[in-house]
Amino acid sequence: MLTSFLAQAMVTTHATLATASASTSGSGFFQFWDRLWLREPAMTEAAKDTDYMFMWLWWFCVIWFVGLMGIMAYFCIKYRRKPGKIAERSPSHHLGIELAWTIIPTLFLVWIFFKGFWGYMEKMVPTGTAMELKLTGYKWSWNMEYPNGLVVDRGFMNTSFGAELVPVFYVPADMPITLRMNSNDVMHSFWVPDFRIKQDLMPNRYTGMTFTAIGPKDGEPGIHTHPMNEEEAKRNRSPGATPGAPSASRIAPEFIPELAGVKYTDHWVFCAEYCGTYHSEMAAVIRVVSKEDFNKWLVWAAKKSTPTDPVEWGKLLYKGKCASCHTVDGGKNTGPTWQNLYGYEHDYTDGSKIVADDNHIVESIRNPGKRVRVGYANNMNAFSEAQLNPKQTEAIISYMKSLSDKAPKVTPSEGDKPAEKSKEQASAK
Amino acid sequence: MASAHAQGHSHDHAHGSYLTPKGGFWTTVLDWATTVDHKKIGMMYLVAILFMFFLGGLAALAVRTELFQPVRVDAQTGAITGQLLANWFYAEPTMAQGNDVYNIAFTLHGAIMVFMVIVPSIPASLGNFLLPIMLGTKDVAFPRLNLLSWYIYVIGSMFAVGAILLGGVDTGWTFYTPYSTSTGNEFGKLTLMVMAAFILGFSSILTGLNFIVTVHKLRAPGMGWFDMPLFVWAVYSSAIIQVLATPVIGITLLLLVFERTFNVGIFDPSLGGDPVLYQHFFWFYSHPVVYVMILPGMGIISDVLAVHSHKKIFGYRAIAYSSLGIAAVSFIVWGHHMFTSMSELASAVFSGLTFLVAIPTAVKVFNWISTLYKGSIAFTTPMVYALIFLFLFSIGGLTGLPLGTLSTDLHLHDSYFVVAHFHYVMMGGTIMALMAGLHHWWPKFFGRMYNENAALFCALIVFVGFNLTFFTQFYLGSQGMPRRYASYIDEFTSLHQISTYGSYLLGLGFLGHLFVFLHSLAAGRVAPQNPWGGLTLEWVAASPPVEHNFDHDPVVKHGPYDFETTVPPGWTPDEYPIPAENLRTAGSH
Repeated sequence: MLTSFLAQAMVTTHATLATASASTSGSGFFQFWDRLWLREPAMTEAAKDTDYMFMWLWWFCVIWFVGLMGIMAYFCIKYRRKPGKIAERSPSHHLGIELAWTIIPTLFLVWIFFKGFWGYMEKMVPTGTAMELKLTGYKWSWNMEYPNGLVVDRGFMNTSFGAELVPVFYVPADMPITLRMNSNDVMHSFWVPDFRIKQDLMPNRYTGMTFTAIGPKDGEPGIHTHPMNEEEAKRNRSPGATPGAPSASRIAPEFIPELAGVKYTDHWVFCAEYCGTYHSEMAAVIRVVSKEDFNKWLVWAAKKSTPTDPVEWGKLLYKGKCASCHTVDGGKNTGPTWQNLYGYEHDYTDGSKIVADDNHIVESIRNPGKRVRVGYANNMNAFSEAQLNPKQTEAIISYMKSLSDKAPKVTPSEGDKPAEKSKEQASAK
Repeated sequence: MASAHAQGHSHDHAHGSYLTPKGGFWTTVLDWATTVDHKKIGMMYLVAILFMFFLGGLAALAVRTELFQPVRVDAQTGAITGQLLANWFYAEPTMAQGNDVYNIAFTLHGAIMVFMVIVPSIPASLGNFLLPIMLGTKDVAFPRLNLLSWYIYVIGSMFAVGAILLGGVDTGWTFYTPYSTSTGNEFGKLTLMVMAAFILGFSSILTGLNFIVTVHKLRAPGMGWFDMPLFVWAVYSSAIIQVLATPVIGITLLLLVFERTFNVGIFDPSLGGDPVLYQHFFWFYSHPVVYVMILPGMGIISDVLAVHSHKKIFGYRAIAYSSLGIAAVSFIVWGHHMFTSMSELASAVFSGLTFLVAIPTAVKVFNWISTLYKGSIAFTTPMVYALIFLFLFSIGGLTGLPLGTLSTDLHLHDSYFVVAHFHYVMMGGTIMALMAGLHHWWPKFFGRMYNENAALFCALIVFVGFNLTFFTQFYLGSQGMPRRYASYIDEFTSLHQISTYGSYLLGLGFLGHLFVFLHSLAAGRVAPQNPWGGLTLEWVAASPPVEHNFDHDPVVKHGPYDFETTVPPGWTPDEYPIPAENLRTAGSH
């Protein structure tokens, strides 16, 4: 009787899950529990299997728990202590019963183990040819490198959650994707709750996982559209005003003419392995678009990733790599502000006093511990050439110059010249 | 505390109870500080552990307070809202300050509760007091080692408190590398905290060793292995784990200190080490130790359920063997803490092994519930706590299934689902069992009864508060809330708020218990020798026991749970009318 009831619960749950992603109306009772437990519907095929397993286990646990507690409550009421009446004699050992309640749970556990193992392999081993994306975690954000060499960091899409910039990673739907993951510093863990998957990132080896996202299909809840013009983008980005968005958790893109009208779904990424101060701000968004729209985005992104104006480029790099510790408006943070840093004389903890010029800035990027500003702790990570190449450091210097009143003025229109000049100087030496 | 019992209850005994002061104030203090009496050491452990429980509880409330609201930064003004915890320490906390305060708070909560409360709680306090009495002996096998273990515990705890006073550490109680080798350099406070855990390990080993030898060598005449109370079996099983597993964490933590001090390069990848190796070492101890935490609790539940329903425990041998079974299997399941950082093959093997441990645990629950059948169940506070244990521990055990299952664990790993799960097991299990045990043996410890109705009311508050606090966290976890986050997305706000209100209720419940206990010490009714009608040897001893436990060495003539054939010692037959045809012996002396 128990097994037939279980089987029935299983079938019903499975059917509910299948319809849950297709439409919002479904059988109310199971729908309610599915959403209470899992909030958003599963957004990959493997995740649907996980949901099925999870809800199956939930109803399995409910049946066992209610059964056990029911028996306990019945005994407690029936055999409560009554004056002058002592406990009745009853056997204190019964081999048959004890074997039964050892073997029956064991059989269930064997089935649960295998079902879980198969579902796990689906999320770890890619099927068919998969696109490989290289994910890097660091304190406290993520970078994604696409097959064409494009690197998306948290400044790239200029998208923020609250006041924090979060990286937005575009991925194509209905296409297997594997992530090759690695950490720059401590351990992190890449968790996409909507995909029901997570995996740790380590500093000393690559780890990986795989998923095939379900595409944004018309009429489904959670579908958003890239804004068609500036006004719409502004409206979308004002707090709580995104159409169809339950809350500020949906991060609206800015107006991008090349991508106007592109449909997408957003999925949170959280860091799930404790990594220090900003662990809870180490979020990202995976944005699923159709394959055609993904190509549109790649074309646009490739053009954007190497701006012709070094100040703009420096600003982009600043947002992605430096903004968590340095301000540009004179405000206090972990590191010194960049406002009026370039060209001024500063005190350093080793007693020296030098003017912050190009050479000093490059030194501070490559070897930050060599000279530390008075009043600040030595806690900046060094950036190697692999993390910031010489062209990128040039761009950052140009941006710093634009923030200082003692530097040669770099206006956007004549921005290329000083950068070019300093490069020539560098090559002349 | 001792002075409250100055009047003593030494009635018909030649020597006074162990609580009777030896002289003036300083003489008494010196007597307690140098005592080798297992009862006094047990009570000193109890006081020290309850104090640390209070500190850990404050840290828990601090964590819940911070999580009442998500932290938000106004994009225009830059104003930060929702840093409810940091607001106590800074006038205008920055994001980094707010997060660091939270990170330190949850690390303190975890480290204190695991290393200083739950691991030593039942064995070191209740176990120390009761194990020799239940075995009918005068003391543990090595009384001086026993006193040493208490001093080591206090020194270890002082190291931890020192680290807290120096600003606290923010690694989480697991000290995962390479984060833990790259943080907390100020004043060497992280090294202090790690040393605290290292030192506490020795206290654990000494207690475990003492118990194993005591059980093997000092059982009363007539007491075979299967005449021991199940509490003794459980403490014995957990002592084996303590002795075998604790050295591993000792070595691991020492290596971590070497790594930080001399940069030897074992765990830090930038020096050629492997952080996953640290995880293996760490969990090779810390998984078995989960059973050090829960097994003594299971022992208490076995005893309390039997005594308060006056019923022979169902499947005595099954419960005893399953304790040993759990102890054995606990050594080969550590990998389930690392499903997201191991190879697929290793994950599959550890997932399979993990399900093995579910079976003896389930068997115990079935046995406990069957014990109630045809019993005479009294709803005293210990019994109600035992029933609460069964309720909460069943939830904790069952929610282990989706965590052991690989596909669902990949979603739930390091989420609030895990947080809820281990609180249901550790707090709903061990702490509720400790509460059951404390009330059950309170009359024996101090010779005073507590106010039953007040205690029952507090138990109800604890039960409601606990479920409000932690059941919501199951939903949070599976909905996508990661562990150790100072802030969260808006969707999680209402569940977090319910959880925080629940935690305040839980705190109130425990505060209530504290007052009930203090009231009992000051003005409680004098306890009879055997208030619940138990059959084990501690109920033969006086309440509180005399200095050497018994007036003359007890001889065991009946099993620990033979309620059908034995009149409990200290009870009059008309209170306990056993039919003449059942009667075998009338008490043991």
